[in-house]
Amino acid sequence: MADEVHLRALMLRGLAGDAAAHRAFLTDAAALLRAYFRNRLRDSPEDAEDLVQETLVALHTRRDSYDPAYPLTAWLYAIARYRLIDHLRRAKHRAHASLDGVDVGEGDPEYDASDARRDVRVLLDRLPEKQRTAIRLVKLEEKSVREAASLTGLSESDIKISIHRGLKTLMRLMTQEQAT
Amino acid sequence: MKTEQLIDLLAKNVEPAERPRWARRLALTLLVGLIAAALIVAIGIGVRPDIGAARMPVMMKAMFSAAIAAALLPLTVQLMKPGRPLSWRVGAVIGLAAICAIATLVALIGEEPEERMEAWMGGGFPWCVVIVPILAAPTAAGLLWLMRAFAPTRLMLAGAAIGALSGGVGAMAYAMYCPVDSVAFVTTWYVVAIALCAALGAAIGARILRW
Repeated sequence: MADEVHLRALMLRGLAGDAAAHRAFLTDAAALLRAYFRNRLRDSPEDAEDLVQETLVALHTRRDSYDPAYPLTAWLYAIARYRLIDHLRRAKHRAHASLDGVDVGEGDPEYDASDARRDVRVLLDRLPEKQRTAIRLVKLEEKSVREAASLTGLSESDIKISIHRGLKTLMRLMTQEQAT
Repeated sequence: MKTEQLIDLLAKNVEPAERPRWARRLALTLLVGLIAAALIVAIGIGVRPDIGAARMPVMMKAMFSAAIAAALLPLTVQLMKPGRPLSWRVGAVIGLAAICAIATLVALIGEEPEERMEAWMGGGFPWCVVIVPILAAPTAAGLLWLMRAFAPTRLMLAGAAIGALSGGVGAMAYAMYCPVDSVAFVTTWYVVAIALCAALGAAIGARILRW
């Protein structure tokens, strides 16, 4: 219950544009998600962390689907559960595609708890030009939306839309990459 | 990339979230779907020739279809977004289905035994089972498109709700064509047609709504 009150307050502030609150929300959500996915994927902590990252992007890009009239944790776990089911379905497809090539995975004692197997930066390079530029300027080089707009000659709303679409594309790439 | 770095990236320069005007978009989608279905009836299969004299039964059938659509609306809205309770909204749909079953029985009991079959089957093949899903297609396409912008997490259920809601909208337009006015026919075959739309919606939704 403590999670609910605390996370909901952070989420509402984040929705209003408070970046620090949004970061705190994602950080605390990541801890909950890690516990959730590890419990359900005991044999592969890397898969669990991949799913944590995938779900964080989903929570971020779909945050407008949260309605403050309903519990936040129900929203969060519904998305986590959906990502898990989607992951298992893809894993099943993979197993059918090539039973010989199934990677059972070695337990790695040196494995860093918060490092996912996939590298999101590599995936960022595969985004369409406009989306990649918008994300690079605003999200990696810490320029404001206005600065990014004047640098690229795009409008501010164009930059915002490109970032949003880019992050959605990123999540799709994350799931596809896992399937290969 | 470490998860902390990803969080940095996501939270950096975050903007206030826009409140999507989903209620308005939903209403618009339903309205456009209904107009499209009415146009298909008017241009494609033709309004029943005696529509002037049969205004009353046409209205009754359209209202009946609208009631089914209305019963499905709250459920569909809940399924658009993650983690929202369904509770009484499922009950509303089941309740309406039960009322239809009872109405069918009562209407058939009221008929003369030799006319029962005719009243139930409408004296031929119940074409609404084929035509209503076609009329529902424009609405269903619009609703699927709308729902993709949100984050449905129960895809088959969401698809079924979209299918049935679209079926209700399609049936409203079908009432302009439908030549059979017997109560038992409508409470049976309209409901079967809408249930078929729900099944199609579940199959299509499970694929198309993935995100």
